[in-house]
Amino acid sequence: MNIHKLIKKTEAFLNSDERKRKQKRKYLKEVIHKLKKHEKALKVKLDKESSGGAKEELEKEIALVRAQRKKGLKNLKALKKVPTGK
Amino acid sequence: MMRKILLPIIFSFLAYGFWISPNFKEIAAGVAIFLFGMLALEEGFKMFTGGVLESLLRKTTDKLWKSLSFGVISTTLMQSSSLVSVITISFISAELIPLTAGVGIIFGANLGTTTGAWLIAGFGLKVKISAYAMPMLVFGVILIFQKSKGLKGIGYILSGLGFLFLGIHYMKDGFDAFKGTLDLTTYAVEGYPGIFLFVLIGLLATVIMQSSHATLVLIITALAAHQITYENALALAIGGNIGTTITAIIGALGSNVNGRRLAGAHLIFNLATAIVAIVTIHQLKDAVDGISNWLGIADDDHTLKLAVFHSLFNLIGIVLMLPFINMMVKVLTRTIKPRELTSAQPRYLNTANNELPDTAIEAVRKETLRLYDNASEIIAGGLSLPLEGILSETPVEEIVAKSRKPVAIDIDESYNQTVKSLYGEIVQFISMAQTTMQPDQSNELFSLRAAGRDIVEAIKVIKHLQKNLATYLVSDNEHMRQEYDLIRTRLASVIRAIEVVRQREDDDSSTVLSLDAQKLAMVEYENSLDIQLNSLIRSDLITPAMSISLMNDSGYASDLTKNLIQMGEILFSTGDMGLRDAERSISLDEDEVDELLQETKHTN
Repeated sequence: MNIHKLIKKTEAFLNSDERKRKQKRKYLKEVIHKLKKHEKALKVKLDKESSGGAKEELEKEIALVRAQRKKGLKNLKALKKVPTGK
Repeated sequence: MMRKILLPIIFSFLAYGFWISPNFKEIAAGVAIFLFGMLALEEGFKMFTGGVLESLLRKTTDKLWKSLSFGVISTTLMQSSSLVSVITISFISAELIPLTAGVGIIFGANLGTTTGAWLIAGFGLKVKISAYAMPMLVFGVILIFQKSKGLKGIGYILSGLGFLFLGIHYMKDGFDAFKGTLDLTTYAVEGYPGIFLFVLIGLLATVIMQSSHATLVLIITALAAHQITYENALALAIGGNIGTTITAIIGALGSNVNGRRLAGAHLIFNLATAIVAIVTIHQLKDAVDGISNWLGIADDDHTLKLAVFHSLFNLIGIVLMLPFINMMVKVLTRTIKPRELTSAQPRYLNTANNELPDTAIEAVRKETLRLYDNASEIIAGGLSLPLEGILSETPVEEIVAKSRKPVAIDIDESYNQTVKSLYGEIVQFISMAQTTMQPDQSNELFSLRAAGRDIVEAIKVIKHLQKNLATYLVSDNEHMRQEYDLIRTRLASVIRAIEVVRQREDDDSSTVLSLDAQKLAMVEYENSLDIQLNSLIRSDLITPAMSISLMNDSGYASDLTKNLIQMGEILFSTGDMGLRDAERSISLDEDEVDELLQETKHTN
């Protein structure tokens, strides 16, 4: 492998858009996973709740978390690998 | 004053030296090239401080032996104890690592720096070192011209090493040539007066060059050319060890109390080690001879023996001081007190932090948190509510119902005293720090600056709200009282929600995304207010003028909520920069909140 190729490869590794995109996806997945866990916990709480007011609050919170998760999934889809056209 | 005189004196001395001796010129040029190499090396390592070094430092300093090893290894790799000291000081002043860990690193760095002597004595003098320097410089400079940050960093490190080697080569040549014309050993001084004199010379040389490493190379090359005696070389090395603390002290001057304490620990360690080394110099020499014999170092190989001596006396220092490390930290904490800080003075912003991107960001975040603390006092005062109450677990409605006395707070004055100048300092620090940053790091700083702007805006809004809130708090009109209590409740809930997010400890349920619930609640409130206002006016329970006040003030409350939530989303998102960005990217905007509200209405 000549020096030029080596430099290019190292550069590609250190600074590529591909790496950034992958990282973004990784973080986004992490947040979505957290939200999913949170949503499940809220649902369990909702099942146990008997007071009407508290139930309504929990339902609202679940809807909010679901909306955020949906937005996250939409963003994740947008970050899917785009063909480079090579 | 001293500085003004010192520089011309040094310049004149050097110019005179160059005039009378071309060899002296070569040695001085060698030192200059060597120091330039150190600068390039530091620049190179700084390129990699955008995460790797910081996260390593955080993970590897939780135990004393770990911080000690970290000091040894990082200094060995970077060949610069001053860079390690500066990084440690900046970490300590940003309160990312405790003082004990910092002291451990500094102790380790003292041992790590002795590897330099081994490298130069064992390798630098034995081979034709300039042969390595040339290709390193060529490859290094080519890499510096590359766009990628990583390659640039490698380029700086490579050319830094190249310059170090080249510097050593010139120093060696200079001293070799010197041998023919002048024998410096005739100036050698025997016995303790000699030791003290050369300790002082070593100290001064290190202070001037700001590098004990450079002093050591100078000593070793001079020793190799038989221009100084072995005994005097040992004394010079001890002096260099004391002198190196000056760099740390200068670095700590602008830092906060912990930075100064660390510099104090550095000084105590090096001074105590030096005293022990001076007192026991003859025994140490015998020990060095014994160790050298054991290692197979020739009796007359004084340069390698100097390396043994340097390592030995620093090791003895560590062994002696380690048991007292906690005591030392206690004494330093007691004797070096924080400067009296008003809440308007910055606590975390200092020039040492400015050097490292991630630490600078963390310092700005912590300072903006203080800005928020100052501002929340003002906002709570403007709402005529006690801040402790808002932040407690008592239901907000209860706190609002209890607090019926308007609080007389001069918002303008409080703003000028505790917020304006601090925000000014933050903005100035950001402008200076961001020049050396990568785009995503500067973006983070700009977000933090925007968070500060939100805090300032929030104070302006509360100033508008204050008058009516105070008036209707004690109004005879029960409906207006209730409506304004609703505004107070709403805003107090926002402050509490922000506090919950701030206090969370890895609890998934309270990420900054949970602040979106406050956006939703605010829109719900605004919608219900519209209905309520109509009904109140229709029933003639409030005057039209009152309804306009209420409409304006609910608008202000909505602005205040937006400001606080935007600020909270930036200030309280933690973890990696990427994770923070991901969190922020899915928080709901106004349209999405409206949409969600419509959806929940339909389902109910």
